[in-house]
Amino acid sequence: MTASLAVDVRGLEKSFGPAKALDGLDLQVGTGTVAGFLGPNGAGKSTTIRILLGLLRVDGGHATLLGGDPWRDAVELHKRIAYVSGDVTLWPSLTGGQAIDILGALRGDHDRKRVDAFLTRFDLDPTKKARSYSKGNRQKVGLVAAFASRAELLLLDEPTNGLDPLMEGVFTECVKEARAEGRSVLLSSHIFAEVEKLCDTVTIIRDGRTVESGTLAELRHLQRSRVTVALDGDPATLATVDGVHDLVAERGQASFTVDSVALPTVLAALAPLGPRELVSTPPSLEELFLHYYGVHPATESMRSHRAAE
Amino acid sequence: MATTVGMLPNAPGETGTSARAHRAPYAGLALMIRFIVRRNWLRMLIWLIVLAGMVPLVITSQRELFPTQAARDAYAAVANTPALAALTGLPYAAGTLGGILNIKLWMTIAVALAFAVIFLVTRNGRAEEEAGRTELLRAGVLGRHAYSLANWLVAAAFAAVIGIACAGAAMTQGLPGDGALLMGSSFLGVALVFLAVSAVTGQLARTSRGANALASIVLAVAYLIRAGADVGSESGKANWATWLSPIGWAQQTRSYGENLWWPLLLCLGAALALCWIALTLERQRDLGSGLLPEHVGPRGASALLRTQVGLTLRLQRGSIIGWTLGVIVFALFFGGVATAMSNLLSPDNAITKAFTSHSSNVLDGLLGFFLMANALLVAAFVLQSSDSIRAEEADGRAELQWASAISRVRWAASRMAVPAVASFVLLALSGAAIGGAFGAGVGDTSQIARFFWASLAYWPSVLLVIGVVMLCAAALPRAAASVTWALFGVVVILSMFGDLFGLPDWVVENTPFTATPRLGTDFAVLPLIVITLLAVIAGGIGLWILRRRDLTSA
Repeated sequence: MTASLAVDVRGLEKSFGPAKALDGLDLQVGTGTVAGFLGPNGAGKSTTIRILLGLLRVDGGHATLLGGDPWRDAVELHKRIAYVSGDVTLWPSLTGGQAIDILGALRGDHDRKRVDAFLTRFDLDPTKKARSYSKGNRQKVGLVAAFASRAELLLLDEPTNGLDPLMEGVFTECVKEARAEGRSVLLSSHIFAEVEKLCDTVTIIRDGRTVESGTLAELRHLQRSRVTVALDGDPATLATVDGVHDLVAERGQASFTVDSVALPTVLAALAPLGPRELVSTPPSLEELFLHYYGVHPATESMRSHRAAE
Repeated sequence: MATTVGMLPNAPGETGTSARAHRAPYAGLALMIRFIVRRNWLRMLIWLIVLAGMVPLVITSQRELFPTQAARDAYAAVANTPALAALTGLPYAAGTLGGILNIKLWMTIAVALAFAVIFLVTRNGRAEEEAGRTELLRAGVLGRHAYSLANWLVAAAFAAVIGIACAGAAMTQGLPGDGALLMGSSFLGVALVFLAVSAVTGQLARTSRGANALASIVLAVAYLIRAGADVGSESGKANWATWLSPIGWAQQTRSYGENLWWPLLLCLGAALALCWIALTLERQRDLGSGLLPEHVGPRGASALLRTQVGLTLRLQRGSIIGWTLGVIVFALFFGGVATAMSNLLSPDNAITKAFTSHSSNVLDGLLGFFLMANALLVAAFVLQSSDSIRAEEADGRAELQWASAISRVRWAASRMAVPAVASFVLLALSGAAIGGAFGAGVGDTSQIARFFWASLAYWPSVLLVIGVVMLCAAALPRAAASVTWALFGVVVILSMFGDLFGLPDWVVENTPFTATPRLGTDFAVLPLIVITLLAVIAGGIGLWILRRRDLTSA
C-alpha cells in the first residue's frame, strides 16, 4: 500500500517554541493523483510542506516522501520533486529566465524546450529582471520552473497567489496534464473552485490536525444535501420525517436539507405527497470546509450524525 | 449618488481663473515641502552632523600636526604629489591652515554631499514614483511639478545648511571668514549641480536604482575628469580640462587662497539649466514611466551562472569589482605617500609609536600599519560578501534552493568559497600595489614581492572572518549581521587604535590582525596555523549547525 503513496504523513507533530504548529497531522497523496490540502492561514499547511521538503525537522510522527525520509534523504529526493511556494522570492538582479535555468540546473533536469513551452503558456517575459516583476509574474517563474521539470511529485503551496483568472485556467490545465503524465501533486490552496476542479482527494486541516480527508464524494457523503421540491400535498408533514432538517415549507413547495443516509426514507415519505419537481444539490466544498470550521448553521446536527455512525 | 460628486470639497470648480490655472502645476508645493522634511529630517540631520562635524575635527588634528608656520611651509613644499592631485585635487595655499583643511577634507565633503543629495532626490522622487506612492498623491489636489519642485527645494536647503554649518565650524576654529564662507558655498555649488543631475536622471530612469546609478556615473565621470586634469597639470595650476568638471569649478574657487566667487556662477547656471530640463521632461512623460528604454536581460542562464559559485559571483559582480578598485586605489595612495609621511613623523612621538607598533624603523612600521589596515579593508569586503549566506535565507531565497537537489553544506560552501578566493586575490593585488607604489618612490622593485607576501600573511585572518560569519549565520540567523559587524568593529578598533588607547598588550596583540606577523617584524608561522585552524573550526561548526537546524522563514 505504501508503495502507491507519493506522500505518507502520519501523526506529524511540530512546535515552534511554545507554539504547536502541527499536532498529529495525517496526509496521504496517492501516486499519480492530485491531493488538495485545505486549511486557513496558520493551520499548518506550509509547515507540513516544509517538513516534506526537509527544510524543517519533525518533532514527532512519521513523514515519508516517495518512499524516502524527507530530512535524511533530502538531496536525493529533491531530484524527484518540484516546489512552488506561495510567495516566490527571486534574485532581484537576475532575469526570470536566468532564475528558471538556475533552479532547473539545481535539480539537474533542465530542459530548455519544455521551459520555453511553459513560458509561452504562462505568457511570461523571461528577459525582465526579477525586481521589476509583479507578484503574479514571480509566481509564474516558480510555476514554469516546476512544471518544466521532470519531477515525479509537485508540492504546490498556494501557487496561484496573485495570478489572474486566465492564468489560473492555464495552471489548472498544467496540473491536469501533470496528472495525465503520471505525476503526483499536493496542492495547498484557499480556492475551493480550484480544488473542486482538480483534486482527486481532499484533506482538510485545522490547528495542525487533520479533521477530514477522502475523495470529494466521500466528504460529500458525510454532509447533507439541500433538496428543493414542488409538490401537491402539504409540505408541513415532512417535518416529522427522520433525517429532514431546516425545513422551510410554503404552499406547494418545500426546501430542506437531508442526511445522505436518510435519503431513502425521505424519498419514500415524499412520494405520497405528489412531487412534481425535485432538485437536489450536494454540498459545495466551501460549505464542507466552512462546516468544519464551525461557521455553518448545521454544525450541531452534523455532530450528532457523526456520533451516530 | 451621482449628485454628490459636485459637492466634494476638493472638486475643481468650473469657475477656475486663469491665475489658478497658471499655478496649477505647483499646487500643494508648501504641503509637499513639509511632507518631505517630515520624512527625511533625521536622515538629513545625520548627514549634517557627520559632514559639518568633520571640519573642526580635521582643523584640530592638522593644527596639532603642523603647529608652526615653519611646519606648514615644510608641508607645502612636499604637498604636491601626483597621488594627492588625483585624489583630492591640486593643493594650493598649503602653507595655511585653511589650505591644509581643503587638501584633507574638501573633496571628501564635496563628494559625500553630492552623493547625499543624489540619494535624497532619488529617494523622494523616482523611488516614490516607482513604489506607486506618487500616484496616490498626484491623484489628490497636487500639481504636476509640485512634488518634484518641493523635493529639489528641500535638497537645496539641506545642502545650503551644510555649507553654512561647515563655514561656521571653520570660522569658530579661527579660519578667515571670507575663505570659510566661500568654502561652504563651494560645497553648496557642487551639491546644486548634482541635485539637478539626479533631478534629470530621475526623469530618465524608470527605477530608483537606475536613477541613482546614472547620477553616480555622472559624479564619477566629473571626479575622474578633474583627477586626470589635476594629475596632468604641469604648472601646479588648474589646466583647461579642470573646467570640464563641475567638481573642478567648485574647487577652483580656491577658498582661503585667491577666494574666487565667480566659478560658482557656473555651478548655479548648470543647476538651473538641468532643473529646467527635468521639468520639461516631467511635463512630457507619463507618470511611472521613464524615458530610457528598460533594461532587458538574458532570457536564460549561462553555463557558469548555473553553478553555485557562478551564481554567487554573478550576484556579487558589482561589489567585487568595486572593492577591487577601491582597495587598489587605497594601496597605491598609501604606498605612494608612505615615504613622505614617515619623514614628517618623529619616531619618538607617542602617537607615531602607537601606529607603528613600536617598530624601530618608522617607515617600516608605517607601511606595516598600512598593510594591516588594507587587510582589514579586505576583511570588510569578505564580511559583506559572505553575509549572503544569511541574507539569502532571510530574504526567502534559500527556501527555493534548499528545496532543490543541493545539500545545505554544498550550498553554503560555495558562498564561502567566493569570498575566500576573492580575498586572496585582493590581498595579493593590493600588497603588490602598495609595494609597487612604495618601491617606485625609492627605486626598488623588489619591494613588490616583499609586500605581496606580507599582505598574503593576512589571508588566514580573513578566512577566520568567513568562518565566524558562517558560524553566526548558522547559529544566530536573525542576529548574524549585527553580531558579525559589531565583532568586526571591535577588532578594527583594537587592531588599529588599541595601542593609542593604551589598552593592555595581551588584548591589542592578539586580534587576528595584530597576531599576524607584521611587515618589518620577524615572520612566525605559528600564529598563521592557529588562525587557520580557528577559521576551519568556526566554519565547520557553522556548517554542522546549518545542516541540522530548521529553515528560518522570513
